[in-house]
Amino acid sequence: MSDASRGAGSRRTLREQVARRLRGRLLTALAVVTSAVLVAAFYYPVGTVLIEAVVVDGVPTLAVFAEVLRDPFYFGEFARLFAGESPLAVARALLAPDRRLGIVGFTAYQAALSTVASVALGLPAAYLLARFEFPGRRTLRSLTIVPFVLPSIMVAVGFVATFGTNGTLNGVLAGLGLPPVDLMFTLEAIVIAHAFYNAPLVARVTTAAWESVDASAVETARSLGAGPVRAFFDVVAPQVYPAVLTGAALTFVFTFGTFPIVLALGGFELATVEVFVYRLVRDLSYAEAAALAIVELVISLGVLLAYLRYEARNAVSSRGVRPLPRKSLVPDIPSLREVLPRLGLAAYVVVAGVVFVAPIASMVLASVTGGDGALTLDHYRFLIDRQQTGAAFQVRPWPAIRNSLAFASAATLLALPMGVVVAVLTTRRYRGRKLVDAAAMAPLAVSGIIVGLGLLRGLVFGVEIAGWRFAATGAVAIVVAHAVAGYPFVVRTVAPGLEGLDRSLIESARALGASRVRVIRDVELPLVWPGVVAGAAFAFAISIGEFTATVVLATGADAYTMPVAIERFIGRRLGPATAMGVVLLVVTGLSFVVIERLGGETRGL
Amino acid sequence: MGSEPEPEGVAADATDDPPAVELDGVTKRYGDTAAVDDVSLRVREGEFFTLVGPSGCGKTTTLRLIAGFEEPTAGTVRFGGESVAGVPPEDRDVGVVFQNYALFPHMTVGENVGYGLNFADPPEGLSRDERVAELLELVDLPDAADRDPESLSGGQQQRVAMARALAPGPDLLLLDEPMSALDARLRERLRMQVRRIQSELGITTVYVTHDQEEALAISDRVAVMRDGTPEQIAPPRTVYREPSSRFVAEFVGDNNVFAGRLVDVEGDGESDDAPRTAGVDVGGETLRVAVGEANDTGVAPDDRLTFCVRPEYLRIGEGESRLAATVESAEFLGETTRVTLDWGGRDLVVRTRDPLSGEVVVGFDPEDAHVIGIDEE
Repeated sequence: MSDASRGAGSRRTLREQVARRLRGRLLTALAVVTSAVLVAAFYYPVGTVLIEAVVVDGVPTLAVFAEVLRDPFYFGEFARLFAGESPLAVARALLAPDRRLGIVGFTAYQAALSTVASVALGLPAAYLLARFEFPGRRTLRSLTIVPFVLPSIMVAVGFVATFGTNGTLNGVLAGLGLPPVDLMFTLEAIVIAHAFYNAPLVARVTTAAWESVDASAVETARSLGAGPVRAFFDVVAPQVYPAVLTGAALTFVFTFGTFPIVLALGGFELATVEVFVYRLVRDLSYAEAAALAIVELVISLGVLLAYLRYEARNAVSSRGVRPLPRKSLVPDIPSLREVLPRLGLAAYVVVAGVVFVAPIASMVLASVTGGDGALTLDHYRFLIDRQQTGAAFQVRPWPAIRNSLAFASAATLLALPMGVVVAVLTTRRYRGRKLVDAAAMAPLAVSGIIVGLGLLRGLVFGVEIAGWRFAATGAVAIVVAHAVAGYPFVVRTVAPGLEGLDRSLIESARALGASRVRVIRDVELPLVWPGVVAGAAFAFAISIGEFTATVVLATGADAYTMPVAIERFIGRRLGPATAMGVVLLVVTGLSFVVIERLGGETRGL
Repeated sequence: MGSEPEPEGVAADATDDPPAVELDGVTKRYGDTAAVDDVSLRVREGEFFTLVGPSGCGKTTTLRLIAGFEEPTAGTVRFGGESVAGVPPEDRDVGVVFQNYALFPHMTVGENVGYGLNFADPPEGLSRDERVAELLELVDLPDAADRDPESLSGGQQQRVAMARALAPGPDLLLLDEPMSALDARLRERLRMQVRRIQSELGITTVYVTHDQEEALAISDRVAVMRDGTPEQIAPPRTVYREPSSRFVAEFVGDNNVFAGRLVDVEGDGESDDAPRTAGVDVGGETLRVAVGEANDTGVAPDDRLTFCVRPEYLRIGEGESRLAATVESAEFLGETTRVTLDWGGRDLVVRTRDPLSGEVVVGFDPEDAHVIGIDEE
């Protein structure tokens, strides 16, 4: 040990030095364990599924792909392009009124519509939140995080309760003497539901960017001669619109991979790629499902990468020293310029009420309304009663609630250390950090159906390694799938805190003699603890609401959860579905409170 | 210019003891740029050694290389003659104080000061609490142990950071601009305290600052850095009076730097009455500067000479070389007035007690000028 330092280093005994070396490697060891879990729970299972798309009967082939690409059922007129027809002919066909989009085309189409709707609904909210002061503004701003924790199947229930044949909308229309509308199983319903989900995201990122515009930049522009409108377009807009684009890109990717909302509100008639992958899996056409899932993944990642490249080029890292002053909702001077924007916002609030508040309110209302229209607690009673009377093969509510809570707790316990380790690894400076970040975040991009299927066949059906057979129960597989789905959120809540930590705190601790891992324990974790708890709440909420992978893994097993039960109930008995939706709402609402209280600014989301 | 580091910095310690810290040809590159470029220097046991220079000169990187937060791209860092390559910061027995103090906000002052004692036994058989109390006493904060660091003023936080760094009894104290966030008056008071503590403990200290005045006031020796390399390593007085380059002359304090062609050489410098002087043609005026003894400084007519005269040596209406100038502006600084003069299109700076205006004649004697460089034709 000739390279030991002159001081205490050479005085230390050999054993102490060895112990130090080992502790120095502890971070590496944790990283290895986390990677192993990721490989076992995600990369390996997903790999085994995706490989089916290119290996048929042990022979590598691109035939399955070629078939999918050339099938007008999937690609509409574009399929002819892949089949070798001239682009001109395809373009002409696309412009014709009877064009066929295919499933992939339709998925992109509804995602684009949903993105437009989300931006249209999100921007006024951002304007309201960033530029006006009013009672409850902070609460409202915090509520924009809610969609992240609201289970999409619950949102679907809310939409059925609002826009369904017997929904509140038709009730109101009938009360006004107007004819009923049926939005169920229409594109409109899907797009509105997607906007419900993603407009708050657009609003959230845009508000954050708007709030970080430095007032003195605007004042400088004004003093140089720009009018208020010109100053807005020259100074404010350039800092805000990258955020709008962020929201739009994420919305497109999320809605492109949408599953529970379309399954519940669109059925197979309006199937998106993910829904059809699910159907193919149910029909045991694994190769075709895998090929289609890869196509979906490539498109999603393509959009995401294009966006990230744009973001890297246009990154504006101006931290608002002094934010723009907020205006009162009551105009000081009753001029047209003061009143008009406020009138616009008033109109917006009405629309927002219908889109954001009505579904939740309708769901709660429907859960306490009986068939005769009177108030009743029957639906809640059913959640308990069904258990005694229900047949074994039926979905019973109580086990669903119990399973959900148990799985969510276990998944959180697994996701938390994984997320923290990945956050620590991705906030260090070293070569290949971006690669680690990408590999760790991949679970967000891959179809939940494929993850579920991979786990089903990889873990539940068992693997044989060196003569040993490893098999997990459905419950274990669900916990693993939920942990994999949830831990990126832990990373996203913990990493910004770590990133923002003053590096000299860490260096001070090290200079005082603390090893790398000891610094994490003594300094870093205590300081980012709120983020860790918020991450745990996220993981819990994600698990409670997870539907896609669960529905694959719960097939036939006794391991169904609340969202799966809701999906079963939704077609037949709306009452119990809404009651269970309210239970989900309460649980995720509590998670939200934890996130809100402790997570603070989770800008990474 | 761009001269070699003064040999004094490396060769002057002729003692047999290995230097407390030695940098031997150390280079640190980030991509294509060298933040620290082939630096060699030695810090003696117990010395207060300061790295000073403008921002981006590599002084902080040099400190971080010593602390072990960075590993050099090339060259060797030695502590007491032994290489510390690959030794992590926690094993180097150094105490570090940062510009922002970096107190752990979730620990009390006492817990902060005691943190390093988790990894090293307190010296002299003291208990942990005794050691913490001793250190807080040393920095004049005896009752602060249970306080929250954020409740302290900037100056107090700085002292806590100092106490924390010293608690485990490090061999080497590293201070990275520890006072630059404080106001001027407090800074002056604290630097005396830092120096007192350093002398009391006799701890080898490397101090980084961009403030040349602070560097002169506090240090045993100063390394003036520029573009990743020390331009001069010498005691403060030498750096001030005999800067080795134009950069050092202008960076440390105010200065008037002249450059011109050598016209003649007078005297041999062997008697004190008649120093050997050179006439230098600066803008048509012949100025006389002392050039030392003939065998020290070989100068010949037509050489280009660069020399400097400190503002306090430019006297009104006195001196062998006279410069007729016009007052351009004056800044009243309290004890003196700093006057900028226009001398044939060049700026001169003088310090006076009485206000000046209009036309003035300033002058200096040959010994008041210091020759920085001679370029032979």
